[in-house]
Amino acid sequence: MSTAMTFGQKQFIPTPPDKGSFPLDHDGVCKKSMIKYMNCLFNNDSNNSMCRVEAKDYLACRMEHNLMAKEDWSKLGFKDGDLEISEKKK
Amino acid sequence: MNRLACMNRSFFRVFNQNVNSKSKLLCAPKYGAPTVYLVRATHEQKKTRSTMNYMIALGVMTVGLSYAAVPLYRIFCQAYSYGGTVGHSDADESVSKMQAVKDRPLKIRFNADVASSMQWNFKPQQGDITVVPGETALAFYTARNPTDKPVVGISTYNVIPFEAGQYFNKIQCFCFEEQQLNPHEKVDMPVFFYIDPEFMEDPRMEYVDEIVLSYTFFEAKEGFKLPVPSYAK
Repeated sequence: MSTAMTFGQKQFIPTPPDKGSFPLDHDGVCKKSMIKYMNCLFNNDSNNSMCRVEAKDYLACRMEHNLMAKEDWSKLGFKDGDLEISEKKK
Repeated sequence: MNRLACMNRSFFRVFNQNVNSKSKLLCAPKYGAPTVYLVRATHEQKKTRSTMNYMIALGVMTVGLSYAAVPLYRIFCQAYSYGGTVGHSDADESVSKMQAVKDRPLKIRFNADVASSMQWNFKPQQGDITVVPGETALAFYTARNPTDKPVVGISTYNVIPFEAGQYFNKIQCFCFEEQQLNPHEKVDMPVFFYIDPEFMEDPRMEYVDEIVLSYTFFEAKEGFKLPVPSYAK
């Protein structure tokens, strides 16, 4: 993206992720959670707000299998109120 | 300096001799002149020296300031997030405190690219996802290594439009670290991100409803430098 013509224009500076990089799931242990999440997205017209529970399940699976550092749900943006709303909408 | 001192001494001697001789012409300018000139000369010398000292001090200060400016500027930018620099703010706290803004849905489109020499098959699992600012979202990409040898890749990303990039915060992703794929292996790569609620307060973002997130994978060889700034690693 940064060619000779972009001199003087604002350059996009990528920032590192807050919690680092996800280790790769080579064995596919969390694939089922992922498929569930994908199905939910497909059924809800790709609306993220409806699929928070599945996303939380996927991240829980990752944490369980040491593919992600364990964190409080609030630090990952999952508040109890949100999850209840998406439960009700189902 | 010595010569000056000698000159001063000799002039003083002359002066004293003239003063001590009871000459009525003591106050005549003929005898006072060298003294006056001497005083003026030393005064001039002092002025010149002090000016020179000031100039040297100014030069040293300028050089010192230009060296000090580098860390100072960095601190300033981090404190005020000027020009897109990420500050060392508590990401955890801001994530736990942020509220989702339900009335502004944004469509995030996903794009996947591979460098021309890279043989992975890399694509997003979903074409787009609807998200609201302040809500964390999960997205998946899939990468497959069709070759017979392990390939190590490293990725970087880009956000379009440019001004929206500062509100795009990634909690965790798969970028900037080397990822190895074994032969014929297929793997899912998640990206966990959110759009900062401050997005709502930016007037330039008023008509922005679509954001494109684009990832590009490069092959990581020996001595390969990813086209990103060094602090990202």
